[in-house]
Amino acid sequence: MLKIENLTKVYPNGTVALKNVSFEVPDGEFLVVIGLSGSGKSTLLRCINRLIEPTEGKVYWDKTDITAASPTELLHIRQHIGMVFQQFNLVRRSSVMTNVLSGRLGYANPWLSLLNIWPEEEKRRAMQALERVGIPDKAYSRADTLSGGQQQRVGIARALMQEPKFILADEPVASLDPVLSHSILQYLEQLNKEGITVICSLHFLDLVHRYATRVVGLKDGLKVFEGTATEIDRAKFKEIYGEEAQEVRATTV
Amino acid sequence: MDNRPTPGKITLNIILGLLIVAAFAISWRVTDVDFVKLAKNLPNGKDIILAFLTPDFFTHDKTTITIETPFPIPCGSAPEAEIPLSGPRLVPSIMCADPKVKFILEGFNMAPNSDVVVRWNMPDGRVLTAVQATTDAKGHFTSEVESRPIAAAVNGVAAKLAVETLTSIGNLKPSQAAHDVLAAMFVTFFMALLSTTFATIIAAPLSFLAASNVTKRGPVGTTIYYISRSVFNLLRSYDPLVMATIFGFWLSFGSFPGFLALTVVTIASLGKLFSEAVEGIDSGPLEALQATGANRFQVVVYGIIPQVVPNFISFIIYHWDINIRISTIIGFVGGGGIGYYLSQKINLLNYHQAGTAIWAIVIVVWAMDFLSSEVRKRLT
Repeated sequence: MLKIENLTKVYPNGTVALKNVSFEVPDGEFLVVIGLSGSGKSTLLRCINRLIEPTEGKVYWDKTDITAASPTELLHIRQHIGMVFQQFNLVRRSSVMTNVLSGRLGYANPWLSLLNIWPEEEKRRAMQALERVGIPDKAYSRADTLSGGQQQRVGIARALMQEPKFILADEPVASLDPVLSHSILQYLEQLNKEGITVICSLHFLDLVHRYATRVVGLKDGLKVFEGTATEIDRAKFKEIYGEEAQEVRATTV
Repeated sequence: MDNRPTPGKITLNIILGLLIVAAFAISWRVTDVDFVKLAKNLPNGKDIILAFLTPDFFTHDKTTITIETPFPIPCGSAPEAEIPLSGPRLVPSIMCADPKVKFILEGFNMAPNSDVVVRWNMPDGRVLTAVQATTDAKGHFTSEVESRPIAAAVNGVAAKLAVETLTSIGNLKPSQAAHDVLAAMFVTFFMALLSTTFATIIAAPLSFLAASNVTKRGPVGTTIYYISRSVFNLLRSYDPLVMATIFGFWLSFGSFPGFLALTVVTIASLGKLFSEAVEGIDSGPLEALQATGANRFQVVVYGIIPQVVPNFISFIIYHWDINIRISTIIGFVGGGGIGYYLSQKINLLNYHQAGTAIWAIVIVVWAMDFLSSEVRKRLT
């Protein structure tokens, strides 16, 4: 269970990205965070694994206080939290294999890993991860030779290497076309069914309806909605996205 | 904003214009611009430019040969000479003479610009100096010779007019200057390579300290960042020539102080270029690596290095190229290599040899430029 308490983030330039946000994520949930660009979704996700330091508030994971962890403890905590990004964030000039193996850095022998020496067992694990996302044949291609959808699958394979307890997915399909969006989200859904908690930010409401077990809505850093996707009626929609908003469908699939 | 001209704006523009004219006039005065002198001294310029443009690359082996032509005294005492039409030869204005007759002797295709001695080689083996002469640039001389009674023919054998001259034999071969330039260029090339290598070894790790996206975190990191940045800037503000003079005084002159000067300058320059390359990388992968629980060193090795390697290699080759050029200048203050050779030859007024060195530099710089652009094309 992940518990977020009164999370606030004020950037040095004075921008308030999150204001007193609290919610809980029970194990096994597929929680989707929605909101306009700039509403604080990315900041919220990054505050959970402290890629961004929260200004105030607490993040608990079971009994562990992530916000109070020392730098060394934080590395151990991050080891178990997979993360998937909108821009995939692969090292473009490295091979797919190296990118996938890098998901295992937290577990690896720190000295051998610096020489890019990996035990056979880890290489097998990486191949299995690539098989799971359907691109084992790309293992020794350079990452930037892959299409966007394939790169995001590498991103998921990298997260899988961490044997994560939960996955943070920051707009994982915003850079992909609608058909690919479903294929990527189905991988996440599959992982979720195997017991990995997923916290995912999304833009398109139809994707939210299709995949979310629960939804948190943010507007200007404030939590303005929490519930199931079906509870988002016209009024709630306008509250989250503003009066001007029109719903756009990602696909008709 | 209203952009219509007002009296105030017009006055301002006039003042600005006058200031620009004044600045230009001052520049002209302090530079002592004298185009008349430039045109008047054109012959001086032509000579040195021609010397530089005609380098001394090849030479022939030289040997001393004796050119002889029989000269019967008096006429009819011996057969007259047959004069060849080409090659080194002596041509008298008359083919024979009675004693005490003066005639003109011309020499063709002798060693150019040299002193020659014309002798009588008598039939009995004695030698008598007839006249001395100096050849022109084409190896030609003209002098007046008298038919001496002592050089009369004996038993139908005439005395011979003889000249010793240097002449080329065999094929063209590289000149001494070409040998020396090659040796000096060899030193320069590898001195530049070694200084670039040393500078890379030192600058590459330091550049990460001077990259804000790696180091500038927390008070300790920020301090390290500003210190390393200042060191690079401080070193960079010293010109290579100044640096070479310092090391020259320190270690006396030679290749080693030249190498040290190049290394220090290159550390500063590469350090700056490297750190800017590190600052210019895509931060996304770093974020992803941090999220996996990777430590700082792992983030550098897996996230930063693969992104900066092409830039680093291209900067290194570029700097090797620059260092070959700088070491030419450093040679003038005693830094060794091709620059030292060039400065010596210029001081000794041996402009042809200096020209050889300049051509060698041109060729190497051109080749390095070609190499570095080819390598950069392949790095993406």
